[in-house]
Amino acid sequence: MVIVIAVLLVVAAVAIYTFLPTAPTTTPTTPTTPQLNKICIVYDIGGRGDLSFNDMAYLGGDRAARDFNLVLTELQSRSESDYLPNLRTLSRSGECVIIVGVGFLLTDAIAQVADEYPNQLFAIIDGYVDKPNVLSVLFKEHEGSAVVGALAAMIAGYYNKTTVGVVLGMEIPVLYKFEAGYYWGIRYGQEIFKEKTGREINVKILFTYTGAFNDPARGKTATEAMLGEGAIVVYNVAGATGLGIFEAVAEAGAREGRTMGPPFGIGVDADQDYIKPGFIIASMMKRVDVGVYTATKKALNYLIHKNETKFGGILELGIAEGGIAMSRVEDLETFLELGIQAGTIKPQDKETILNAVTSMRNSIPSWIWEEAYKLQETLKTNKSLEVMGIKFSDIEAMIPFTADTIANLRSSLGVG
Amino acid sequence: MRRKVLIEVLIKTGNVVAAMTVGLIIGGLIMQAYGYDALHAYYSLLRHAIGNPLTDPYPLTSTLSLATPLIFTGLAFAVSVRSGLFNIGVENAVYLGALGVVLASGFLKADTPLVLVIGSLMGLSLSILFALVAASLKVFRGVHEVITTIMLNWVAYWLVEYVRVNVFPDLRDPSKTIPVPPSARIPLLVAGTELSVSIIIAIIASLTTYFVLWYTVFGYELRATGINLIAAKYAGIKTSRFMIYSFLLSAVLGGLAGVCEVAGRPPHYSITTGISNLVGLGFDGIAVSLIGLNHPIAVIFASILIGALNSGVRGMQIEARVPFELVRLIQGVIVVSLAMPGVLSTFRKYLSIRRGRMEVVS
Repeated sequence: MVIVIAVLLVVAAVAIYTFLPTAPTTTPTTPTTPQLNKICIVYDIGGRGDLSFNDMAYLGGDRAARDFNLVLTELQSRSESDYLPNLRTLSRSGECVIIVGVGFLLTDAIAQVADEYPNQLFAIIDGYVDKPNVLSVLFKEHEGSAVVGALAAMIAGYYNKTTVGVVLGMEIPVLYKFEAGYYWGIRYGQEIFKEKTGREINVKILFTYTGAFNDPARGKTATEAMLGEGAIVVYNVAGATGLGIFEAVAEAGAREGRTMGPPFGIGVDADQDYIKPGFIIASMMKRVDVGVYTATKKALNYLIHKNETKFGGILELGIAEGGIAMSRVEDLETFLELGIQAGTIKPQDKETILNAVTSMRNSIPSWIWEEAYKLQETLKTNKSLEVMGIKFSDIEAMIPFTADTIANLRSSLGVG
Repeated sequence: MRRKVLIEVLIKTGNVVAAMTVGLIIGGLIMQAYGYDALHAYYSLLRHAIGNPLTDPYPLTSTLSLATPLIFTGLAFAVSVRSGLFNIGVENAVYLGALGVVLASGFLKADTPLVLVIGSLMGLSLSILFALVAASLKVFRGVHEVITTIMLNWVAYWLVEYVRVNVFPDLRDPSKTIPVPPSARIPLLVAGTELSVSIIIAIIASLTTYFVLWYTVFGYELRATGINLIAAKYAGIKTSRFMIYSFLLSAVLGGLAGVCEVAGRPPHYSITTGISNLVGLGFDGIAVSLIGLNHPIAVIFASILIGALNSGVRGMQIEARVPFELVRLIQGVIVVSLAMPGVLSTFRKYLSIRRGRMEVVS
């Protein structure tokens, strides 16, 4: 009886299989020689729709596809076991100018497939793979996080509150860089605040790893717990999980009858200020789009135009390189398009959102903004700023962080 | 007699084919409604699930490799259903089986095949231990197994997370545990693919389960417990004991899924943050078991079917450019349709047991 089931299933499969290709004329015939005309993006299990990290990668890929006349092919992963077959399938097709792995979790898979297909070019965002055909795109998240950390501390001081928080996604080393910069920035912001107002503040810092990048419900729960402990600003370092942070702060504000914060969220990766206008004080922009775009350009230069002789290596983007920045109102235009495309905002709401964000920013004294942007300018060149005996360059020297070194830094900056 | 069995199998297979057709048609209509070419999408699904195995075995190996863990978890769930239990704890058995191998890798600190042997034993012991908790509560205190196993799943989840973060993290990359040493890994069946020897272990496991359930007294009594608890008791079968056996058998099968995943799947060979490389395998086993009508041999084909879907959706994204969310929706529709015959028959059986029990009681 077993054999019968087997035979039937096989017969059914074969029947469908042989029948299908002949029937529809809509089925395009596969060209015998693959055309090298695609930008291929493989996402990790976080996936599209986070309005930040992954959507930014799409944005960069889309722009590169249009500028360089390529076709954008996106491939999302259902689980970890999809990484390797996804990358292998794309490499085997021979149609991808470059395969971009979006996210640290793809590092091992890219390293292996890069060995198997030495002629295929890869880029890995947030990961490091030492192979001649892999470009490792890294960001100096600690720089931007320090800037928003300083902003958070000054805002806490301004509203006479004492607690700020950060909600994180899965515990991967990339996030330690965000943590380190943020904590250092908060302590540095306290110093600026004291200098400007003569009032000493000591901010309590809360942090939570939710264990997921795609679970807004968990982000919301974690944020509500922080707000319950009196947090006034919560930094999103959690991808789509972070969308729950914004919901939580907006609901908390609405309960007190406010149309703008406090409490505030801080956006990440994209300029997220528009998601809950009035409740997201600023965003730490990590321009993944710039990374994807630059990587594609490099691949084309190396592969097609032959005007670059080397492809692999590290492409590190920070404030000075335009890869990291705290959002300004002017940045919003670009990112509103992302929201309109995703259907989360209507085109006619654009003006209202811009007004809401502007008036929220005006509710904070302008010297706070000036100081935060001044810190951003300074960090481009001067890394010797010091607070609590820790220079910013000390933080940079600790990269890559391990679970132990970040734990040490947390305790020396008085976190938790 | 043989004829009767044959006809029954034909009818059941017919049901699956019909259900699949319904699922494909509904999925196709949804795709067309969203403006995607359904035929092209299904064609690319097949191309990436099966391809042409003669010229290029890669798509088929990918399908079989994704089917492997599901065979184990499907079997584990089928065994529990056969004994009248709804054991959600297969999920924690998967985590704990994998945990055992990681623990052995950490404790032994040696690159020998012994790690796999000891690790499997540790993993299976752990999953048996957890199953015993649920089993004793069920048998001695009458606590429903769905409640206990769901809770135990979380206990196991955080136990594994604790080990990943605090006991054996990969120091170069704390998002993972330390990897299983190379010589303790389950070798690949086809080089350059993800298909490992695990699939042979899985098929042996399902043949063994089939033999035990249908050709031994033990299996007969276990199934009798599931078919009608009261009648089985009346016939002198120690039903409580067989419930415990069923829990243990499920734990071992589920544990094996974890062992084979962590020791047999490239490239990580470790447990990743949030157990994201194992989460859901136990639950997928429920769907597989329902599609395979809780039959150990049919479970193999059901797993391959789901494996083919999981592998083929890659093609739908690449070639037919159907967005991932829609792909997942279609996949869900097909799986639900496939499971329908199983759900109906399990439900009917459950109702008849209930009715039988009522009649005996009253």
